[in-house]
Amino acid sequence: MRKLVVVGTILSAAALVVLLPVLRSGSAQQPPALADSLAAPRLSVADSGSLRGPRQPIFFRHDIHAGQYKMQCQYCHYSVGASSEPGIPTLQTCMGCHTVIGGTDSTHRAEIKKLRQFWSDSADASKPKLEWVRIHSLARFAHFPHMRHVKAMGPNACQTCHGDVARMAQVFKVNNVNNMGFCISCHLTRKVNRDCTACHY
Amino acid sequence: MTVRPVITRDQGSEDRDQGASPELSPLTADLSRRRFLTVLGVAGAGSAALSGCSTAKVEKLIPYLVQSEDQVPGIPTWYASTCTECSAGCGVHVKTREARAIKLEGNPEHPVNAGTLCQRGQAALQGLYNPGRIKGPLQKQRGAFQSLLWDEAIGRLAQQFQNARGKVAVISGAGPGSFDDLLAAWTQAQGGRLIRYQPFDRAPERAANLRVFGLDELPLYDFATARYIVSFGADFLETWGPVIEQQRGFAQSHGFNGKSMARHVYAGPRMDLTAMNADEWHPLLPGSEASLALGMAGVILGERTTAPQDANALAASLAAYTPEKVAQDTGLTPDAIRKLAREFVSAAPSLAVAGGIGAQHRGAVDLCAAVAILNYVAGNVGQTVRFGAGLPKPDGYAAMQQLIAAMNAGEVTAVLVHDANPLYALPRSARFAEAFAKLPFKASTSLFLDETAAACDLLLPAHHALERWDDLRPRAGVLGLMQPVMTPVFDTLAPGDVLLRAAQKTPDLKAQFPAPSFEAHLKQKWAELARSRGAADTEQFWRDALQHGGIFNGAVATPPAVRLVPTVPTVLTAPSFDGDGELILLPVPSSMYFDGRGANRPWLLENPDPVTKITWGSWAELNPETARRLDVREGEIIRVTSPHGSIDVPVYVYPGVRPDVVAIPLGLGHTEFGEYAKGLGVNPLDLLGAGSVEGFLPYVATRVSIATTLGFHKLAKTEGNPRQLGRHIAEAMPLAHAEQGYTVEESLKQVGEEEHAVNTAREAEAIAGFRASQVEKTKLGAYAEELPKWGMVIDLAKCTGCSACVTACYAENNIPWVGYDNVTRGREMSWMRIERYFEGGVEPGEPFAARVVPMLCQHCDNAPCEPVCPVYAAYHTADGLNGQVYNRCVGTRYCSNNCPYKVRYFNWFPFAKRAFQAPLDLQLNPDVTVRARGVMEKCTFCVQRIRGAQHQARLEDRPLADGDVRTACQQACPSGAIVFGNVKDPESRVVRAAEDHREYHVLGELNVRPSVTYLAKVQA
Repeated sequence: MRKLVVVGTILSAAALVVLLPVLRSGSAQQPPALADSLAAPRLSVADSGSLRGPRQPIFFRHDIHAGQYKMQCQYCHYSVGASSEPGIPTLQTCMGCHTVIGGTDSTHRAEIKKLRQFWSDSADASKPKLEWVRIHSLARFAHFPHMRHVKAMGPNACQTCHGDVARMAQVFKVNNVNNMGFCISCHLTRKVNRDCTACHY
Repeated sequence: MTVRPVITRDQGSEDRDQGASPELSPLTADLSRRRFLTVLGVAGAGSAALSGCSTAKVEKLIPYLVQSEDQVPGIPTWYASTCTECSAGCGVHVKTREARAIKLEGNPEHPVNAGTLCQRGQAALQGLYNPGRIKGPLQKQRGAFQSLLWDEAIGRLAQQFQNARGKVAVISGAGPGSFDDLLAAWTQAQGGRLIRYQPFDRAPERAANLRVFGLDELPLYDFATARYIVSFGADFLETWGPVIEQQRGFAQSHGFNGKSMARHVYAGPRMDLTAMNADEWHPLLPGSEASLALGMAGVILGERTTAPQDANALAASLAAYTPEKVAQDTGLTPDAIRKLAREFVSAAPSLAVAGGIGAQHRGAVDLCAAVAILNYVAGNVGQTVRFGAGLPKPDGYAAMQQLIAAMNAGEVTAVLVHDANPLYALPRSARFAEAFAKLPFKASTSLFLDETAAACDLLLPAHHALERWDDLRPRAGVLGLMQPVMTPVFDTLAPGDVLLRAAQKTPDLKAQFPAPSFEAHLKQKWAELARSRGAADTEQFWRDALQHGGIFNGAVATPPAVRLVPTVPTVLTAPSFDGDGELILLPVPSSMYFDGRGANRPWLLENPDPVTKITWGSWAELNPETARRLDVREGEIIRVTSPHGSIDVPVYVYPGVRPDVVAIPLGLGHTEFGEYAKGLGVNPLDLLGAGSVEGFLPYVATRVSIATTLGFHKLAKTEGNPRQLGRHIAEAMPLAHAEQGYTVEESLKQVGEEEHAVNTAREAEAIAGFRASQVEKTKLGAYAEELPKWGMVIDLAKCTGCSACVTACYAENNIPWVGYDNVTRGREMSWMRIERYFEGGVEPGEPFAARVVPMLCQHCDNAPCEPVCPVYAAYHTADGLNGQVYNRCVGTRYCSNNCPYKVRYFNWFPFAKRAFQAPLDLQLNPDVTVRARGVMEKCTFCVQRIRGAQHQARLEDRPLADGDVRTACQQACPSGAIVFGNVKDPESRVVRAAEDHREYHVLGELNVRPSVTYLAKVQA
């Protein structure tokens, strides 16, 4: 049993070594601010209570995925360039890597184990489902086409509204997206459409 | 903890529900303290965020497990399918968002509807999400329904049918297709009889064609090429035949094409929607129409030498129907009859049609035969009347009568009812209910607890057509496919699977029905079809058909050579009527409720009757003369009594009905059928006798007497005033003027009428000055940009007033229905409405006519609503829209008071809360805000479609092309009367359509400069 865990760790480490260059090469367009980003801090789920933002069912580390490993936002938020909705990654997307990657330390392994549990429980309707706590929720009388903003500002437009998620151990709200002045100030600076019916219909 | 249908179960997407307004969300709606505590207890971690003084609820995002290949959040997925709301079999495209169907649109490739869809088709969604649907299998125990498992329910069906082997009957309303074939084989294997039952089945026409041509079938009528159309009571724009296809053809021939148009004459006792669109209406007594048809045929045969040779055999017998004799029968003058006949034959090809429920009296076969002869004599058979169409042949009323007798005699002991509601659709005097109640076992696959289902012992609720695999052969050469577009809303099952699983539970049927599921069965049938068509790859054949909604190039049998039966009888007997009351009862088929199946859809109940503009209830139409004689006024309840029963119904005084007739719409008066239909209105079938004539049920066969009661029921009409009162809202001009290229003003001058009060020179100067300043303003700010300016053209020569656009608008824009009480107070929210104005008919002998005009926000350039809004909620966008910002609106209603068109609608109550009660809320369009109480709303020119098209064009780095944006009303219109586009683009269709001498603006004299241009109606 113990042997298996060791093998698992070696395997996942090997997978990381294999995967990392791939992930790096895909991150050529990352903003310069992130180029010298440090390894994400070591935190356990016990720390998440003291971090900003709501606690999530899994202590998912954007700072590790998007920061340390420089994965592109669109790898998981797959529809952001095509649709008004950014798309929440499917569990299958998570498992695509985490079938192999088991985590480098005990705190990571604990969270990845939760993910695997949700995945293996998914066939059983009586078991709880993974429910992320929503952080940004736009009022229902406003329509925000994500794809237009990604089209205009490039794939790294996300942090304009969502903040430097790549440095967030736990995601929190940086800007109040329901404050219309926040939208308008940007539209003013960029001299783009400020018609009411661009968003309100 | 929120009770949501299973749709989101395993595939919970980003549960954003933009469409639902905050007060609709299950968490905050009616959040009592007890419920709040329950939520806290269950939500656990979520409760932490709920604590404190914040009212914001915690929203959860439930990820998909596996990425669905055909669902991207925020992007609609379209499926091709087939509509089953009537037997026409139109093709539909189903728009789904986040795995739920939200809109139905016509399939442009489909030969029947060519991309458009009527109001009943649109409202199929309210069948899918109807709160009155049966939520799982039920069995009756001690008078009450108890739920059971599907396996038990199917086992019970199999067992009961096996016990009753040989004494089994199945009543089915399904059209021809693989399911119907399976049902026939299954019933036969049970030793039972299958009765294919459609209440509106056009049996008299088939009998007439058998009598005249020896062909027991229905032809297709080509309205598009006909240059002269005479309808003998056939409501071809409402319920008779494939109405969308007929309306498209009618708009093509009868719409003014710049040079000419077909003429349309209607002969029937009541001015229905079809007659409203006629250029000439002859209110004939029911039963006298056949004489007119034979008289016309006689004139043609007497004067024309080119009639088909074999028609001359008729000359002798038709000679009896001289114009003078016909004039006696019909009340028309002999000269008018001659003129009608001559015009009919000289305008080749012409078309005469007869049939429909409104002309289904005891002489209906005579009438249809006379019209068939008229068409033959005029040389229309093979031209505009085409046999060999392969339209379905239901079994008809006689088969139901035999079934009732068999049930009474104990020859049938077990019955399965599928897609039919005979308990409602048969006259009460047929005593079906009593015979049905005697049966030891009766089961139903109905989706709803309708009258028949309520009387059954076992309910096996079927999937809606949008939830199951199926196919439909509405006519030769057309094979429509249906596919499930979403997870079933409730615990229902495809009826095909019920049959197959029941067969598996019956030992001797096991081998005969080996298919594991109906889907597999269907695919196998299509593989056989593919092989018979010589397709190399059957899988590819199936996928192609699925993508296109079916195959529409199928082999059509060569039309049979149509010859007259040599001994065709032409002797007419005047149809008899039951009873000795003073008025003839005319049950009117409704274009909203059809045979009664539309009565549980609020969209159809709130969409006003195209003729009377009455919503939410029944009425009895009386001629003003009759009403005066009986001393009744609109809304007074009268008791209509026939030898078979009596009903109480409010009066609607209507000059478009003969003085000796009382007309009552069919389709309402349900005793079951869900909360919307139950107890609403009356059913005139209660007044009919059950006797059949040549195998069909004569609907117009009863004389009734009228007694006044003390009751009063305010009719929920949506019209303000039925007359134009000189306001020139719906303009029309004679064909002669249209041919000359007259403008509306010139035409009015010709007939001695001034269009508008002439502005004084000072006013004219002020208006000119204003216009110049407006032009200057368009060079400023955002208006100076190269933006499109949206505009619309509505051709009143094509618009028939059918109201398909109204329901399409409700579906697209999340418009709440408001119900009877609020409609009587003028609070309906109908962004798009059809205004109907009566002309003439006041003085005795004055011809009576009606005009329609679709009325929606005119998006005025100089909009009166905008400057009066204190909070700038109503304002003008740079692309020419009259914007309405819901979140800014504080509900002063100044804008509505200042709108001359009365197209702004106010949410007096949280209408949306009731209108979109679960599961109807699943239909909401996520791209459109659901408006809260206290907010003004109105037509937006489908701004969400405009923005959507702009987003798409930007993503593809291309400019917006003409035709990229189609409004919901334009998309639905079967006549193609609505054109929408960018009026700044000189090549756009909307600009070309507006370049017409018939163009005018409604209330243009107010100088509000509307963006909607109307083209005046032309009267041939």
